[in-house]
Amino acid sequence: MNLSYKNIAPFLSAGQNKASRWLSYIGLGVGVLLLLSSIQMYHNINHLIRDKNTRKNGADFISITKTITNENMGKDNRFTDAEISGLKTQSFIEDAAPLKANAFKVTAGAGDMIPFSTDIFVEAINTNFIDTVPESFQWKEGDALVPVIFSTDFLEMYNVFAPSWDLPQLSEKTATSLPIFLRCSGHKGERQYRAKIVAFSDRINSVLVPESFLEKQNKDLEEEANAKASRVFIKTKDANNPDLLSFLSQKEFHVNKDKTKFGRVKGVLQSIVSGLAGFGVLVILLALVLFSFYLQLMIAKSKDNLQLLLTLGYSPQWLSKTVAQKWIPVYITIIIVAVFLTQLLHWGFQYFVMPAREELSFFIDWIVIVIAALLLILSVAINYRLVRKSLHKL
Amino acid sequence: MQISLQQVVPVFFEAGKADASQLWNQNISFNKGENIHIVAPSGSGKTSFIHFLYGLRKDYSGNILYDNNDIKNFDAEKFSTWRQQYISIIFQDLRLFTEQTVLQNLEIKRLLSPYHKESRIATMAKRLGIESKLGKLCNTCSYGEQQRIAIIRALQQPFDFLLLDEPFSHLDENNRQLAMQLMEEEAAERNAAIILTDLKKIEYFKAEKILYL
Repeated sequence: MNLSYKNIAPFLSAGQNKASRWLSYIGLGVGVLLLLSSIQMYHNINHLIRDKNTRKNGADFISITKTITNENMGKDNRFTDAEISGLKTQSFIEDAAPLKANAFKVTAGAGDMIPFSTDIFVEAINTNFIDTVPESFQWKEGDALVPVIFSTDFLEMYNVFAPSWDLPQLSEKTATSLPIFLRCSGHKGERQYRAKIVAFSDRINSVLVPESFLEKQNKDLEEEANAKASRVFIKTKDANNPDLLSFLSQKEFHVNKDKTKFGRVKGVLQSIVSGLAGFGVLVILLALVLFSFYLQLMIAKSKDNLQLLLTLGYSPQWLSKTVAQKWIPVYITIIIVAVFLTQLLHWGFQYFVMPAREELSFFIDWIVIVIAALLLILSVAINYRLVRKSLHKL
Repeated sequence: MQISLQQVVPVFFEAGKADASQLWNQNISFNKGENIHIVAPSGSGKTSFIHFLYGLRKDYSGNILYDNNDIKNFDAEKFSTWRQQYISIIFQDLRLFTEQTVLQNLEIKRLLSPYHKESRIATMAKRLGIESKLGKLCNTCSYGEQQRIAIIRALQQPFDFLLLDEPFSHLDENNRQLAMQLMEEEAAERNAAIILTDLKKIEYFKAEKILYL
């Protein structure tokens, strides 16, 4: 069949109801733009807040300690194994791990490079609870080098007081190349190790060493195989869950709320953007419904002519395809314009709102393009099915 | 192509009405190349019969077969294939696109399965005396002119059977003969059959079979 829509167009009342047709075009455009720009903003927020993110795999990691009061001062305020197991049984806590501390004395120095030496504490925790764990963060008996994960807050504190002590300020990169000498001493003896900062942690305010190292030194230097922990890290879906907070306060456990602040801000922002995306989906649906009314009205008005075309031998399948295809260029145009505007908005956000954040890509995320393509396929498919159904009803 | 009727009777017929018919409730086959004339008075089911043959209605008992295919099992898609290539029709009620021009009415059929070139439309229109009407809206034409438009439209496609349901009811004798001549020429060119129904016998239609309903 050498026929096209052009040949049957005079037999259809397609030119009528222009207002509802244009309204549905505009609605579809606005809806797609809302959805695409929300997805892009969601991606941007994820990207921008990633560095300070305390969440990992959709969970919050927060540290708890026992609240020190005048009454319990002087007592052993460390967590018992039973208390840690009790935490794990709560429905709002996915997992808990103690932050084990050194029972021996540790002195750290930077050798001749920085004439500075101080008593420090080291701690160890299950690596699943650490936000940055490089492969080199391992230690086995006999290793002379101890990998260390250092708190970014501690480095910041050091850089604050370093100038007043005539010490050089350090960048993260320099700090990782700094040779550190650890002197571990206890009742049973003394050992010297070289140490190296292998990563920085935003989540845990501590000097972290591998668990194997800490346990070995505790055992060998102080004969303390199972050191009790003062701090426990818990993994939870939502650090702001009222049940969790009331449970912790009832147990008189203290929570470091600062660490969940970014998670909360991010959560709120993402909720707003998700709400916008949901609104976008709603507008798209309304636009498609409006357009379907227009199509149904057009088919109803052209019913006699369409029926006659079928009687004369026109194939219902060909008619549905041809009528539905007529709007494909319109849909393509609407969606391309929406993608282009999303790119413009993203560019505006990058240059006017977040000018100093180079981590944002110049182009919109690939997922936005994929969603746009899916919307196009969805619109065309809905359109085709609707026309086909209406024609078969004739 | 062959069309076979196997004891076809309209379901709305009263008992005994089809008894004397040479068509209803009979086993008959129509073949390519033969002309069949069906003669009957009003109300005897001529239009129903043509509609049954063309697949527009299914309210009959018995079977109608296109080449051994029972058309009761056809869907709209299948009918479209047969109507594009093997069966053409002139309806008693014409069924034209009244809001379109005469030429648009003819072209929409010709483009579907072109048998003739576009120029042939003007030649045929000239033969039937409606050449000047080609650019006019169909609803401005008289019924006689519209009947000739429907005749020319039916001849724009390939066919093995041409179904005519009282095609000359609004034509004068001269125009009837001109139209019949044109249709017979076109059918002969395709070696096609003509099945013509009318109230009374048409003398200038050279029919091999005459059946009384």
